[in-house]
Amino acid sequence: MGRYIAGRLAQAAIATFIVITIVFFVMRLSGDPTLLLVPEGANAAQIAELRHALGFDRPLPVQYLGYLNDLAHFDLGQSLVQRAPVWLIVQSRIPYTVALAAGALVFALVTGIPAGIAMAVWRGGITERLLSAVVLAGQSLPTFWSGILLILLFGVSLRWLPTSGADGPASLVMPSVVLGALAMSTFARMTRISVLEELGRDYVTAARARGLSMGAAVMRHVLRNAAIPVLTVVALEVGNLLAGAVIVETVFTWPGIGQLAMQSIFARDFLVVQAIVLFVSVVYIALNLLTDLAYSAVDPRIRGMA
Amino acid sequence: MSMRRDVVVGALVLLLGGPAWAGRDLFVVDLPTDPASLDPQLQWDPDSYSVYRNVFDNLLARDGAGMIVPQVATAWHYDDDTHISFTIRDGIRFQDGSALTPEDVAFSIRRITDPAFKSPQLSQFDQITAADVTGPHEVRVTTRTAYPVLLAQLTKLSIIPKALVERDSAGFNQHPVGSGPYRFVSRVQGVKVELAANPDYWRGQPPFARVEMHPVPDESTRIADVRTGRADITRILSTDNADRLRDDKQLKVLWTPSERVSMLELNALDGLTRDVRVREAIAHAVDRDTIIEALLKGYAKPVNEPLTPASFGYDPSVPAYGFDQAKARALLKEAGVAPGASVSFLTSPVFDQRIVQAVQQMLGDVGLDAKIGTVDLATYLRRRQGRPDEAGDVSYFRWSCGCQDADGTLFPLFHSTSQWAKYRNPTVDSALSAGRNTLDPVARIADYRTALAAIHADVAVVPLFQDVTMFVARKQVQFQPTANESFFLFDMGWTE
Repeated sequence: MGRYIAGRLAQAAIATFIVITIVFFVMRLSGDPTLLLVPEGANAAQIAELRHALGFDRPLPVQYLGYLNDLAHFDLGQSLVQRAPVWLIVQSRIPYTVALAAGALVFALVTGIPAGIAMAVWRGGITERLLSAVVLAGQSLPTFWSGILLILLFGVSLRWLPTSGADGPASLVMPSVVLGALAMSTFARMTRISVLEELGRDYVTAARARGLSMGAAVMRHVLRNAAIPVLTVVALEVGNLLAGAVIVETVFTWPGIGQLAMQSIFARDFLVVQAIVLFVSVVYIALNLLTDLAYSAVDPRIRGMA
Repeated sequence: MSMRRDVVVGALVLLLGGPAWAGRDLFVVDLPTDPASLDPQLQWDPDSYSVYRNVFDNLLARDGAGMIVPQVATAWHYDDDTHISFTIRDGIRFQDGSALTPEDVAFSIRRITDPAFKSPQLSQFDQITAADVTGPHEVRVTTRTAYPVLLAQLTKLSIIPKALVERDSAGFNQHPVGSGPYRFVSRVQGVKVELAANPDYWRGQPPFARVEMHPVPDESTRIADVRTGRADITRILSTDNADRLRDDKQLKVLWTPSERVSMLELNALDGLTRDVRVREAIAHAVDRDTIIEALLKGYAKPVNEPLTPASFGYDPSVPAYGFDQAKARALLKEAGVAPGASVSFLTSPVFDQRIVQAVQQMLGDVGLDAKIGTVDLATYLRRRQGRPDEAGDVSYFRWSCGCQDADGTLFPLFHSTSQWAKYRNPTVDSALSAGRNTLDPVARIADYRTALAAIHADVAVVPLFQDVTMFVARKQVQFQPTANESFFLFDMGWTE
């Protein structure tokens, strides 16, 4: 087991290094931030002077090695635009993103799993058709559009919820619903498939033959068995929720790392973008690693396959 | 040459004095982006400026009519072509209680012009070679050469407290202290910046006791905030939204033509557009009135040159090219351009793509196949400032020098030594150089008239329209936007 864990940790480190390298070069190849920083009308000499001061006139490999050296010393550098330590900037946004991901996850779980069960139990009926439409909508509505619709309905017309910002739990409701809609659909579909599969098994028929109601059979026996594949998807969705909130955070002005990423990409604030990608990658890779390790603990065959 | 302006305090109060209407306890502003910096000597993006310009006073300012007027400096005079002395106002205090002195003014200039400080604003001030305290109330500024745009540039110089900044230059960005009408209270990144009225402000009582500025990137959300009263005012960019909200009983759309001009730059050094007849054909093919009425709902003002009436050097006598498709086709035929010939059309998503597509259609109507090349802004800037064969035959863009002076637009765009210019004309070069190197306003006006006439004859650019600055506000907000896109809370008010 120890060797397996060491191997998976090494893989995770290599994956993180590759991500850092790709982001470093893609950001730099996509354009020089100096041109965006200077006022209109700055002449070529003035632009060159600022480029030199910021160090962007150094050869790319030299800049890359310098960046790796800083990372090795746990130094993410200073933001080009804000002139503040990158880690402080990113760190201040993480709690908001975690709160939004948690809100979205709760929404997705409390709506998606019951919907999936209902679709399986009442298969072929009007309930399934109605719920299928909701699931399809959650899966296919673009978040920038569904977000604006919710703002217009619950913010502007009904005035139940704040239209933007992060002023407390009420501000979290709409962004959580919009961000969690896709995960809700995924959970509903997975739950439906799992429950249907279990409902077809002999032990369910036997339980029903003993006089157990459908509800009792599902609650007592089916759910426990159907939960395993659903929980796997939940673990992976957490990564998506943490990384995928860029548009939702922008529409609802939720000050998480997605909004910061958007702002930093537009401003070519290289070091902030790199730090965000590093954070998201590490979270994603760590979640995958934990899922794999949990699997291997439960099922020793996986250790042998690795 | 000497130019003295003695301004009596009474006139100043009349000119810059506080509003007559009642105040409001908490005033909320939605900004399109999170301010990049609160230190006024770092970034210069509109939203940072909207915040810190309310915390700091500047050496000079512009009044509602765009004239340069005193602020921290009460008067100034030229000792000779390269030396100008400023009299510093007595009695101004920073928000930490310390007095604003000539040392603070000289320090503010030295800091922003120090290459080691790496200010992105350096190019606006790098003609200054020295700033010295020459008396108890006087600072003398030295420039490399005679520099007529100096005063215009100094309207953007905020005065910072020397002692505080020297103690903690990096921390100043997080906790700025100025002498302006509002003092910085707190900031939560991405959430809000809180300001409070400076009760000892030398120009009078600010109109709102507290101000919150919230970064809200999505325009629809910003409008929803104002409609629900969550915010009192916000800047908008979409003329469709402005048009839609025009009749809203709760709101008002505030707008004014800015000093920013939208134009088609024509590449006179490469491609089909090297031929002046092709450039003239393009000028006649574009129906800018339709663009303004149909696409921009009237929220723009046509201009015949790359300057606006808000700029020094604007020439009202430059004629329009006029929309004339028959003439455009005849010119193309005369130039030997076969119908369907292609021209490259460089643009970026930050520009209004409806206008780009309308222009493409209009060029197609006279037989030119405009191939749109859309690239991100950094790449666009690199190509526009790079080799002529990379810059596109036609490129759409918007320009504002932020200085309201012809030099800030014409020199970078049309002087052959500038990386932006894809055009060469010795007459234009010598007129622009002359205009840059004399302090005589009459001579400068003549120089710019010469340059503009040549640029017009050579069709180096097709000026389209003067952009507008637009805000959506609650009906009670009193505010008149200005051409220089300033956002001064002190000039606002609230009427129930």
